[in-house]
Amino acid sequence: MNEAKLLVVRDLTTTFHTPTGPLRAVGGVSFDLEQNETLGIVGESGAGKTVLARTIMGLQPRTNVEVSGSVLLNGFEVVGASEKQKRSIWGLQVAMVFQDPMTSLNPVMRVGKQIDEVLRVRLGMDRHAAKARAIELLELVGIPSPAERYCVFPGELSGGMRQRVVIATALAGSPQLLMADEPTTGLDVTIQAQILNLLDELKGRLRMSVVLVTHDLGVVATRSSRIIVLYAGRIVEIGSTRDVFARHRMPYTRALLEGSPKISNPSHTRLLAIPGRPPNLANLPRGCAFAPRCSYASDRCREERPELEPADEVGHAFACWHPLPLTQKIPA
Amino acid sequence: MSDTLPLLRVRDLTVTFGGHRRKLSAVAGVSFEIFEGETLGLVGESGCGKSTTGRALMRIVEPSAGSIELEGTELTTTSGKGLRQLRTRMQMIFQDPISSLNPRRRIRDIVAEPLDCWHRVEGDERAAIVHDLLTKVGIDPDVYGDRYPRQFSGGQCQRISIARSLAMRPKLLICDEMVSALDVSVQAQILNLLEDLKAEYGLTLLFISHDLAVVKNVSDRVAVMYLGKICEIGPADTLYESPEHPYTSFLLGAALEADPDSPVRGEVLSGEPPSPLYPPSGCRFRTRCPNATNKCAEEEPPLVEIAPEHRVACHYPLSTLARR
Repeated sequence: MNEAKLLVVRDLTTTFHTPTGPLRAVGGVSFDLEQNETLGIVGESGAGKTVLARTIMGLQPRTNVEVSGSVLLNGFEVVGASEKQKRSIWGLQVAMVFQDPMTSLNPVMRVGKQIDEVLRVRLGMDRHAAKARAIELLELVGIPSPAERYCVFPGELSGGMRQRVVIATALAGSPQLLMADEPTTGLDVTIQAQILNLLDELKGRLRMSVVLVTHDLGVVATRSSRIIVLYAGRIVEIGSTRDVFARHRMPYTRALLEGSPKISNPSHTRLLAIPGRPPNLANLPRGCAFAPRCSYASDRCREERPELEPADEVGHAFACWHPLPLTQKIPA
Repeated sequence: MSDTLPLLRVRDLTVTFGGHRRKLSAVAGVSFEIFEGETLGLVGESGCGKSTTGRALMRIVEPSAGSIELEGTELTTTSGKGLRQLRTRMQMIFQDPISSLNPRRRIRDIVAEPLDCWHRVEGDERAAIVHDLLTKVGIDPDVYGDRYPRQFSGGQCQRISIARSLAMRPKLLICDEMVSALDVSVQAQILNLLEDLKAEYGLTLLFISHDLAVVKNVSDRVAVMYLGKICEIGPADTLYESPEHPYTSFLLGAALEADPDSPVRGEVLSGEPPSPLYPPSGCRFRTRCPNATNKCAEEEPPLVEIAPEHRVACHYPLSTLARR
C-alpha cells in the first residue's frame, strides 16, 4: 500500500536546542500524501507549519537541531540522510516555494539565469537548451513576454511576478512534490487568486502533489482535498476538506473557522473569539496544548494529552477528549 | 442619515508626493463623509492610497489640495495649537502594534502620555483613568502596568494602542490595518473588543484594511479605492451583495472564503495595477476592465449616486450592463 504513496511521514519530531532549553517545534506528526493530491497545512504563527515543511524537505539547520521519526519521499528516507544524498532529491523530486519571493531570489542575478542554474546543475543541460527551457518555464507560469523577462532582475518585477519566477524555478526539475510555504501571503487579493489558480492548474498539468502551508483557511478551502490543522507542533485534526469544515470535532478547529470574518455573513456579525494566544513551544502544558484556551477543558485535558482518534468518516481524525457534537449543517 | 451633519467631511482630498520632475498622486481627489456613530470601511489593494488617505486626515502627511472638515472645522488650514487641539478629537491606530509603542516606556505611561501632553489630569485621577482604560481593553493594570511593550505579544500591544488612543476620548478613530499582523484567534478578540468599545465610547471609525471580510465585519458603509480614487462607496451589505463597479466585483471574486462550498466565482482579474506615477487617462481602472470602451479612456467617470447612499464611479455600472 505504501508504495503508491508519494510521501509517508511517521512520528516526525523536530527539536531545537536553544540557550533556554529544548524547543519542540514539531512533535510526532504522521500523515500520508497521495500522488496528485493537494494537502493544506493550517495553523497560526508558531504552530510549527514552516518547521514541519522544512523538515520534510530536509532543510533544517545543521546544528542545535534534533530530528526523529521518518519521512519517506518516494521511498527515499529524508531523516538522517546526508546533505549530498538529499541533494539528489531537491529540485528533482521535491521543491519548495517560500513565502517571500524577494528574499528567495538572488537580487543581483537575472531571473532567467536563476532558472538556468537549476537546469544546468541539476539536469546537466547545456547553455542553449537551458535558456530555451527557462523561457518555456516562464511562459508556463504566465509571465508575459517571457523572452524579455528572462533578462530582468528580480527588483524590476512586482511581488506577484516574482512569485511566478520562484514557482518556475521550483518546477524546473519537474518535481513530484511541491511544498508551498505561505506562497501568497503578502500579495494582494487579486494577485493571490492568480497565483493560487496557477498552482492548481500546474498541479493538474504536471501531475504533481502540492502541500500548501498557510495561516489562511480561505486559501485551502477550495484548493485542497485534505487539511491538517496544526497547533503547538501537533496535528489536532486531519481530514478531507469537507469534513474539517463541516464536521470538525476539535474546538480549536472551530475557533479558527468561526474566528475569521466571512464575506457571506452580514456586517457586525459577532466573531467567536477564544481567549489567550498560541502557547510558548519551549514551555508546553502537560496535557492538551489547547486546554488553557478551551472552554470545554477538564482536569483530564490538563493532565493527559489526547492522541489522534479516528472520527466516523474515513481519514478524519481529531485529538480531543471532549469532541464537539456533530451538528447538521443547515443549508442557507 | 444624510440630513444630519457629518462628523467628518472630506472634499477632493489630494496628496501628491515628489518634486518638480515626477509627481505621484497617492490620493487623487477623494470625497466622502463619515457620520457620527458609524464605521466607514476603506478597502483596496496595496498602493491604492488607503493608508495615505488615513494619514492625510490626521495631517501626518500634508494634503496638497482639498478640504477636511471635522464637525464643521476646517483642518487643512489650521496649524499649530489649533491643529493640536483638533487632533485630540481624532486618534489613529497603526498596523504594527509593537513599533507604534515606545519600547523604553512602561505601558502605564504610554497610555497616560496623551493626558500628560495636555496636563488634563494629575496624580490619583490620572492613575484612575489609566487603570480604567487598561481594564477596558482587557489588560490587568495591577499585574502588567509597569511592564514594557517588548514583554507583550502583538495582540496585547494592539490592546495597549487602543487604550492609548481612547485616553483623550476622541470622537473619531482611524484604524489603519490594525488587525493585519495578528493571528486569526487574536484578530477575532481585537475586532470584538473594537465593537464593544465603539458602543461604549460612542466612537466613529474609519477602518482601513486590505481584507474584505474584516472590513465587511466591522463596517456600516464601505468605500473601495483603486489607484488613488474611490470607485465605489455604499452600505456594506449592499455593496458586497450587488457591487456596481467592475473592480469591486473582481475584488470580491478574488477574495477567498473559508468555506469549501463557496461557489467558484467568476474570472480572476488579470494583470496588475498600473503605476500611480503614470495613471491611465479617463477611468483609472480601464486598463484592466473587461467592459472598457473609448469613452472610458476619454472621460473620467464621476462618482454618482445610483441608489440611496450607493455611489459608483463607472460609465457602465454592472446593474445597467445586465439590463442591456
